[in-house]
Amino acid sequence: MRIIVPVKQILDPRGITVRRDKERIFVNQEEYILDPGSKAALEAALRLKEAALDAAGGWEILALCAGKAQADDALREALAMGCDAAYLLCDKAFEDADISATARILTAAIQKLEGADLVITGRESGDTGAGQIGPRLAEALGMAQVTDVHTASLVEGGLRAVRRWADGFCAVVAQLPVLLTVAPVAFPPRYPLGARVMSAYREWQVPVWDAAELGLDEAALAPLLSFRRESFPPPLDIGERFEGDPAGMAEDILAALRAQKTVR
Amino acid sequence: MDFSFPKEYRLLRRVVREICETEIKPIAKKIDREHGVPSELVKKLASLGLMGVPFPQEYGGMGAGEIGYCIVAEELGRVCSSTTTVVGAHIGIAAMSIHLDGTEEQKRKYLVPLAQGRHIGAFGLTEAAAGSDAAAIKTTAVRDGNEYVINGTKVFITNGDIADTIVIMAVTDASLGAYGGITAFIVETDSPGYSIGSLENKMGIRGSTTAECVLQDVHVPKENVLGRFGAGFLTFMKSLDIGRASLGAGCLGGAQVAMEASIQWAKAREQFGVPVATKQAVHFMISEMFVEIEALRSLVYRTAWLIDTHQPHIMEAAACKLFGSETAGRCSNKALQIHGALGYSRDCEIERGWRDQRITEIYEGTNEIQRIVIASNLFRPYGVKVST
Repeated sequence: MRIIVPVKQILDPRGITVRRDKERIFVNQEEYILDPGSKAALEAALRLKEAALDAAGGWEILALCAGKAQADDALREALAMGCDAAYLLCDKAFEDADISATARILTAAIQKLEGADLVITGRESGDTGAGQIGPRLAEALGMAQVTDVHTASLVEGGLRAVRRWADGFCAVVAQLPVLLTVAPVAFPPRYPLGARVMSAYREWQVPVWDAAELGLDEAALAPLLSFRRESFPPPLDIGERFEGDPAGMAEDILAALRAQKTVR
Repeated sequence: MDFSFPKEYRLLRRVVREICETEIKPIAKKIDREHGVPSELVKKLASLGLMGVPFPQEYGGMGAGEIGYCIVAEELGRVCSSTTTVVGAHIGIAAMSIHLDGTEEQKRKYLVPLAQGRHIGAFGLTEAAAGSDAAAIKTTAVRDGNEYVINGTKVFITNGDIADTIVIMAVTDASLGAYGGITAFIVETDSPGYSIGSLENKMGIRGSTTAECVLQDVHVPKENVLGRFGAGFLTFMKSLDIGRASLGAGCLGGAQVAMEASIQWAKAREQFGVPVATKQAVHFMISEMFVEIEALRSLVYRTAWLIDTHQPHIMEAAACKLFGSETAGRCSNKALQIHGALGYSRDCEIERGWRDQRITEIYEGTNEIQRIVIASNLFRPYGVKVST
């Protein structure tokens, strides 16, 4: 069984200040972290491996990251969490990659690795939150996909996943190979082991693959989107705020709903 | 010259900070109030490798050296001094003494489970009539065939009641004094004759238990002599020398967090219509904290580097302990002043930090002893003997 987990490195949100009044994001401390969504994807992969009785034989979890040279740190953290190997996909030609081009870069790497039984990504990343990389990657790989997965287990005939569905959940069984995007809330990540943190930098290697090695030319890397400018979404109307003790608040809320004729 | 931390240490710090903020900080007040670090917390720290940070991976440790251990001690010091003390006594003096002077068999048998955190360690030197004057210990070990029989009572022993393994200093030849007459023994605490007397009711670090350990005809095999026979004094001096650097690191965490809390409070607290953060009196206190903290940080990590690169470090380690504890003292005191009456309240972390910090000026060699250590090393080349 081979699981490939594409991961992302993001700017640590603890180091930034969002100033809506100035329509700007200020970077106070430029630190990069492994994206929380990616951590959840790694956690899901590790749990599947641990749950398998034959985990010792022929199981491998590989992490991939398309990013700048500093994304090496995100992959080392993935190794410290328990991945067996990690590959950095890095080239100057990748710097303008949008999500569609990134999906093509990851696809080329997965094909170079001769495919996977399972590909797991986070449902969305902690920075842009687009939630597109999983579906686009499944499309590019020609794999079935299950999105917003809350539990996953290997069963006879494939993988059983419970995913969010309208106003509840539904269970699906997918044949392998399949791509999953996982809900971060359902897979709180483990802490990396201290000894693996040391080994991740001192002993293990993270190979770097560039465009030539992945067989990607300019046409394959052409972005679909062009970036013009950033802007802030309009402020959310958060409605009316109730304060006080729980019983009092419940009465106030009920009175307000009655006034709106939402309830009788 | 490069003052930046290697990347593995930066990741280690990030991981440990997350563990401390998530697993320890929310229960730090409870640990203080209920006088105990929960065993589940110790197990969790052990499962992540935090009970064996400086030791080689081949002995079950993290392999992060003294620098790694100082990072962990600093991060623990930010959230809970009781936990720092439990881990510090376990790693810094108990397991460290076996790491430094243990035979291969002793390391396999005792260091591995300690480093993995399956066992907890303690170090038994202090007695009712012997503390700073370590040579005055009365506990004896007498040869009996292939064993030694140990008798005596140790007091103020951190982890004494929760330890599986304790390193005991005992007199083996009273006529030889400190150098030659004291031997270190590795004692398993489930040995017949080993018992716990009273527990101290302390001012601070109340979650870290401090026990009286009674040894009554405790038999230990002769293989459990740690280091050279008669050279126990050297074993504990070497261990303490290293432990003092990480002790300074714990103080660094406490001082840093006192400063951070002061900045936050000064921004929030308004008097005379403006935040007290606008007042020069507060600026001066916080600036002074910053200067001392940065000086301490440089001292601690440079000393850790000296230790990891096997260079002389006795004076620097004593300086870490001395300057670290006093910096933490001054910073927690200023932080309390900035917080005003709130800082004096049991509900405020500053109050706990103030109480917890005080012991660091006393334990693992009082600050007066640290001054003597430094002075005796400075004067030794001139043939001047520094009197205790």
